[in-house]
Amino acid sequence: MDGVRVGKRVIGADAPVTIGWENIPRVEGSRFKVLFFTWFQPAVLFGLLAFWYYAPNSIAKASTVIGIGIGFKVLLLTLEWFFPRHESWNLTWKELTTDLFYVGLGYTVLRLVDNYIGDGVMIEAIQHAFAWDKFTWFTGLPLLLQAFLIAFIFDFGQYWMHRGMHNWYPLWLSHSVHHYITQLNINKGAVGNPTELFLIGLGIGGFFDFLPRAAILAGVFGMAVSTYQHINVRFNTPRWWRFVFNTTEHHSLHHSQDYEASRSNYSGTFIFIDRIFGTCVDGEAELLGMEGGRRMSIREQMTYTFTEGWKTLKERFGRTATAVPAE
Amino acid sequence: MTARFFDWIWHIRGSLALSPEQTSEDAFARLDPLFRETGTSHERTGDTLTFRKKDPAAQDKMSVFDGGVLQIERDAAGPVLRYRLKSRALLFCFFAPLLFLAFGQLTVVLGKMDTPASEEKEKEGKDAKTSPEATMNPIDKWLGAPEPEKKDDKDADKKGDKKEEAKNKRFSPTSAYVFAGIFAVLYLVGRVLEARLVRGLFRRRLAGL
Repeated sequence: MDGVRVGKRVIGADAPVTIGWENIPRVEGSRFKVLFFTWFQPAVLFGLLAFWYYAPNSIAKASTVIGIGIGFKVLLLTLEWFFPRHESWNLTWKELTTDLFYVGLGYTVLRLVDNYIGDGVMIEAIQHAFAWDKFTWFTGLPLLLQAFLIAFIFDFGQYWMHRGMHNWYPLWLSHSVHHYITQLNINKGAVGNPTELFLIGLGIGGFFDFLPRAAILAGVFGMAVSTYQHINVRFNTPRWWRFVFNTTEHHSLHHSQDYEASRSNYSGTFIFIDRIFGTCVDGEAELLGMEGGRRMSIREQMTYTFTEGWKTLKERFGRTATAVPAE
Repeated sequence: MTARFFDWIWHIRGSLALSPEQTSEDAFARLDPLFRETGTSHERTGDTLTFRKKDPAAQDKMSVFDGGVLQIERDAAGPVLRYRLKSRALLFCFFAPLLFLAFGQLTVVLGKMDTPASEEKEKEGKDAKTSPEATMNPIDKWLGAPEPEKKDDKDADKKGDKKEEAKNKRFSPTSAYVFAGIFAVLYLVGRVLEARLVRGLFRRRLAGL
């Protein structure tokens, strides 16, 4: 395979990928279908921003966020069912059960652990230690600007954490399990070794204790943009959207079996961060995963990080197996 | 009590009548592609085929099974394919509700144990720095966004209740119970669906479709 030169890198030398927006298929069919899949994403984003901007205080609370989040996931699952992007990514009973198991872990035991260590405690510490009176300049900014800044700062941190995971072996051990997924579906973002789910911090809900409306509005970017990273639906994403935001196309390339392609598109929401740091590649891939697309069992997903780490440690520091002859 | 009494939980058994003229050779030849998927090994002895799967691909039509035996028997009515398939995924899903119920119970227990610490925090909270009154940007006022909630004495009274509410949320077992329910439904759906799907798959293959 020759691959395609993108800047100084050759993408697609190991596995097939499609590079360049002009080469990516578009939604075809009735006028309504084309319009729907062109405007669905912007309509949801701006609709949700408007809703949370104007929602009365009695509605603007975490329980409504959770309710809308679950409803939106069900809607996207329905879209996946009726309009799959690739048949090779179709949701099976086993895939759905596996994905929901990880979603369940995130909502239960990981959240519980988070109460003691991790971002839950960090947020509480910040809330107690912060000199809030020096922070009024921020809370006095327009709500949408506050929301963008919160989402951007969070994603900027995620970008470097994610890039670090692909470049520093101990972090890669934790993140690699997520790269063994062989297809993208709406709940696949939750699949991975729990150490990673814990690292990236599922519990940003803690922030809702302060700046509630701005934090909820920031969360809209996560729900109405980042969610599409793992989805088996094709959209005619508008040009401006794919320049600013991460898309399924970008993220499928990141999950590609091609090594160089997987080292691109690290941001979760704002792909322009990748553009700034030269890690953005516009394109898509259908063949995903590691080791030629080997699907890991849940048991291996749980243990891989530790067993691989142990193997590496033994190789590096263990005694050599060569027998020393007795004199 | 035999194992058969409860192994239906993760075993799927079934049979399909073959056409009278269909030989074992022909039937297994038609089913053969199903056992040539990635991670699948199989062996055939006479009228019996045994297979095993390790890390099957997500789109492998039989990915939910880890192994099984297919046998062609001949009785008075003609040849019959009998199969017995084993699925650890079904077994796992059967026990998943118990796992989530355990998480729920653990949450309740830890919530009870957390009480003294939260009282301490409440004491600390009195000295802690508090966020200033939220101000509203003129642009948001002009656009008609709702005013942020004012902090008054009533709120101060409510503060204790809110802390208690926050603690209840942190240690709420509700989501664990919801997921226990989801996995119970998923098991029932999977047990029925996968049995029907594999039966349909064998039938179509044997008919050459």
